[in-house]
Amino acid sequence: MTEVFNPETVEEAVALLAQHGEAMPLSGGATLIAMRNAALVEPSHLISLDRIPDLRGISRDDGGGIRIGAMTRHFETAACVELTGSLQVLRRAAGMIANRVVRNMGTMGGSVANADPAADYLPALSCCDAVLEIAGPDGRRTLSIHDYIEDWYETALEEGEIITAITLPAPVEVSSTYRKIARVSGDYATASCAMALDPDGQGLRVAIGACGPGPLRDRAGEKALRGKLDDPSAVSEFTSRLVALADPVDDVRGSAEYRLRLIPRLVTSVLSELTTQKEMA
Amino acid sequence: MMAKKVLHSLTLNGEEVEVASVAGATLLETLREDLRVLSSKRGCNQGVCGACTVLLDGKPVRACLTLTARCEGHAVQTMEGMNGDHVMATLQRHMVESGGVQCGFCTGGVLISARELLESDPSPSRETVKTALSGNICRCTGYRTIVDAVCGAAEELSQ
Repeated sequence: MTEVFNPETVEEAVALLAQHGEAMPLSGGATLIAMRNAALVEPSHLISLDRIPDLRGISRDDGGGIRIGAMTRHFETAACVELTGSLQVLRRAAGMIANRVVRNMGTMGGSVANADPAADYLPALSCCDAVLEIAGPDGRRTLSIHDYIEDWYETALEEGEIITAITLPAPVEVSSTYRKIARVSGDYATASCAMALDPDGQGLRVAIGACGPGPLRDRAGEKALRGKLDDPSAVSEFTSRLVALADPVDDVRGSAEYRLRLIPRLVTSVLSELTTQKEMA
Repeated sequence: MMAKKVLHSLTLNGEEVEVASVAGATLLETLREDLRVLSSKRGCNQGVCGACTVLLDGKPVRACLTLTARCEGHAVQTMEGMNGDHVMATLQRHMVESGGVQCGFCTGGVLISARELLESDPSPSRETVKTALSGNICRCTGYRTIVDAVCGAAEELSQ
């Protein structure tokens, strides 16, 4: 038995979470209700974020930056025409989550809060340099996606805090994409790769998913690779650094060793797809 | 201890209903145990198998992962409420004719997912049908006859 509350404002939701110590915030339910059905979590209270208008919708600010409300469902993100160029990667990732029915339910805020290392949004958001908007008992704050994951399933979210939105810098006209290796359509990633080229086509941003507690970014390596994207030995040096920094585990989707072998192939193959796109454009 | 029950008002298959369910119940529990509406099946109870798929405000969702409290004031549609839907009737006929129904446990969920696919893509390729139905598990047919049925229905409907 779980008592369910349906607050209509963020403040009300945060107050309810503070008031009931065992309460959990509920977004789309795609993961949390499945866990409850399996008795992996037994929350006394669920604070549903479904009726809070402030958490919904995708909007643009004056500078062209994009704000995605935490309760935005995957199908909405997958169909969002504002996510072009450098942000296409996020749209692609959204469209590869699970299957159509689950994409009607799951939300970006819920997925980010759950912080499954094999889920699709975190690498895409890392590649976009996203920022999280967070509300909690001590008020509101923002946090870079790069400072968010602290360990396996451990995030910088404090007790009683919820994610209210994800903000992205204004899209620029470059190629970006998301690719995942999965056992079957709709599965979590065995390994995934989110990549965007720099506006001048000379460099890239890349985040690897499912090969460590959080998305793997090597910004120093990206810097060293600038201007050398067509130099196979420089690319190979870059992917070797990623392999060295990765910290995968053995699980049902693949061994750690297999994942380490996937990283260079994924990066090389996605890079070649993006640079070919650029030449054709 | 008696479990605390909560009254919920929702629209089910076009009719306003008020139903008492255990606090925190899923829509699947409310449908099957409290309303005895049985087309939505409990397979995995994890959102994976697709047998419980129903429409919430016209979009397919997993009834096992949807809280009844979430449906308060919203419209739920199950297979029981789809009589008279031309696309559904066509899909159903093709499922029967192609042998896409064996034990029938997955069939309702398959049909609801297929109907949504045809709404957004009236002429899907076989690959598109397979991907769209990847969230509906069938342990009898091997899927080929189901894909045949959806493609056959799409072809007939687009004529």
